Amino acid sequence: MVDAVLQALVNGVIAGALLAIPALGFSAIFAVLRFPNFAIGALATAGAYIAWVANVTFGLPIVAAIVVAFVSAAILGAALEYGALERLGRGGALMKAIGSLAMAMVIENVVRFFFGNDLRAFDLPLARDLVFGPIRIGPQQITNFIFALAIMVAVWTFLSFSSLGRSMRAVADNADLARLKGINPRLIALVTVAVGSGLCGVGGTLIGLDTSIDPLLGGRVLLSVFAAAVLGGLGSIPGAVAGAFVIGIVEEFTVLALAPAYRLAVGFIVILVVLVIRPSGLLGSKAG
Amino acid sequence: MTEILRRHILGAGVAFAGTVAMPAILRAQTGPIKLGTLTPLTGSGGSYGPSMATTVKKAADEINKAGGVLGRQLLIISEDDQTSPEAGLRAARKLIDIDKVSAIIGTWASAVTTAVVPVCSQSGVFLSTVSGAEPITLLPHQGFLIRTQPTTTLQGTKFGEFALGANAKTVAFVSPQTPFTDSQFAALTKTVTAAGGKTTSLIYDDKKTTLRTEVDQVLRGKPDAIVMGGYTNDTAVLVRDLYRANYRGSLFGFGYSVNKQLVDALPPDVSEGIYTLSPSPAEGSNAYKNVSRLLGVDSPDTYSCQVYDHLNLIAMAMAVGKGDTGTIIKDNVRKVSQGGGERVETAVDGLKLIADGKKVDYDGASGPCDFTDIGDITDAKFRYEQVKGGKITLLKIA
Repeated sequence: MVDAVLQALVNGVIAGALLAIPALGFSAIFAVLRFPNFAIGALATAGAYIAWVANVTFGLPIVAAIVVAFVSAAILGAALEYGALERLGRGGALMKAIGSLAMAMVIENVVRFFFGNDLRAFDLPLARDLVFGPIRIGPQQITNFIFALAIMVAVWTFLSFSSLGRSMRAVADNADLARLKGINPRLIALVTVAVGSGLCGVGGTLIGLDTSIDPLLGGRVLLSVFAAAVLGGLGSIPGAVAGAFVIGIVEEFTVLALAPAYRLAVGFIVILVVLVIRPSGLLGSKAG
Repeated sequence: MTEILRRHILGAGVAFAGTVAMPAILRAQTGPIKLGTLTPLTGSGGSYGPSMATTVKKAADEINKAGGVLGRQLLIISEDDQTSPEAGLRAARKLIDIDKVSAIIGTWASAVTTAVVPVCSQSGVFLSTVSGAEPITLLPHQGFLIRTQPTTTLQGTKFGEFALGANAKTVAFVSPQTPFTDSQFAALTKTVTAAGGKTTSLIYDDKKTTLRTEVDQVLRGKPDAIVMGGYTNDTAVLVRDLYRANYRGSLFGFGYSVNKQLVDALPPDVSEGIYTLSPSPAEGSNAYKNVSRLLGVDSPDTYSCQVYDHLNLIAMAMAVGKGDTGTIIKDNVRKVSQGGGERVETAVDGLKLIADGKKVDYDGASGPCDFTDIGDITDAKFRYEQVKGGKITLLKIA
């Protein structure tokens, strides 16, 4: 039983690291624009497909494909915000959230139109797991974990030390005050959406590297990502990471205790419990 | 208002309503006969639905070119069930209430069919499906349902025999929750335990992108063989994780999930050796060759073959019953599918014979197409295949 628990913990940490990337994107967008952007699942799917084209059709190495996924998902996300969602802003956050759901369906079906429903896999050999005593772990998972950590560090550095990152935090904190300081909140909002969307694209690619790609890839993790962001405190960047790890681990432990079919319920239960007990989430202060 | 005036207005109203209604009645008898296809164009059945819908459309075009049914053209309206019961039910309602179809052809996922059966039978619309879940034909469908897919219970038994044939003693059944999970596992268990073996089962969530923990759970039981009950996308995830976990036993899957798409998506050594089982279309029959020609592919999938048969049977049943309602199709479908008569393999041939007053017995692209009272097929052959060197190769048809 100890073996099973240890293994579930390792699996959970790795699943959490993969969830953390799109959760970061989701939370960053929420922090600045104050609406839940449900298009992130579809953006993750789009990013994964673009990375797949870069890797398989154009023969780029995986790292380059991830960069391509980031840039293209960023452009796509910013274009959606600029072209459609921003105009819905007058209708309030709910209208934008609904608009983002609609956009998600559009993106998903555009992907389906061009690529069909077939499964796609990256041009990578599938390696057997490495076994350490009772624990087994895949080389690709270790790579993905390192990628995920590196991206988290990069995001944290960007937000903490770059002037653009500081402007983003300023707008998230108080848009009016930031405006007085000469920051253009609209531009910052677009940059945030671009960065957040890019992160989703990268997250989708990492999930695709671990499994395979199909048009529902992003949609499948949307609930877990949303639960992670709510748990961590909507709009809180460290909260999103912490929330993602907790959700990843809890989902894996559920399999030990309950029939795996109930895993999906975990996300809902977490959202419910957080909203009832601590609506601001684990690390959120006033967001929520 | 005077009594006379009131009568005049009422009379004029009735006359007007009658005039408006008349063309509708006439139209119903002279316009095209509307039939719906409800196939999964998206979702986990998305790799089959489009070719199913195309097959029906093209087969209907051929019937129309040859003069249609009862002198009327067939109009096929295609809807997407998204492989989801909610979306399927909505689409079925649209086909029934707005398009006023006489029959719905092609529901694929058992969960979708289960949702659609009640509205069809209550509305008197005929439903032909390719779903295999045992309970479907036990629903109170009042005869408005036929299926050409062998039941999953039969498939469970065949899987058990297949696994025993590969010298397996401990068989694990790993599947997402579907309407046929329980009946299939029960049939598998019955077969395997009768031969002195044992079975375990694990139900997973098919939306997970990794099944590592589930795989660990399954492998703790040290199975010699694993029967995979999912659809293509989740089975791909399962197969990858079994490979990573160093599983060396035999793997068995449904032909509809371990298909070319899955094999192409996985590195060759990962899918190597997986056994698959699927209902076999009647390869070599003229009907099968017709489907192949209509779709422009060498070996059309079993579902396209099955919906081709559905359309042919429905067209001929309407011709025999001299009407276009679901009830007429229900009452006459067995008169053209079985019970002797001149053997035909296309509706175009069958319709000519029926017009000449002859009796027909349809044998189709998916098999003989004979039905029991509750709508199951009476005879089914299976294809046993194995993935070898990145290709699905035929072992036997039996």
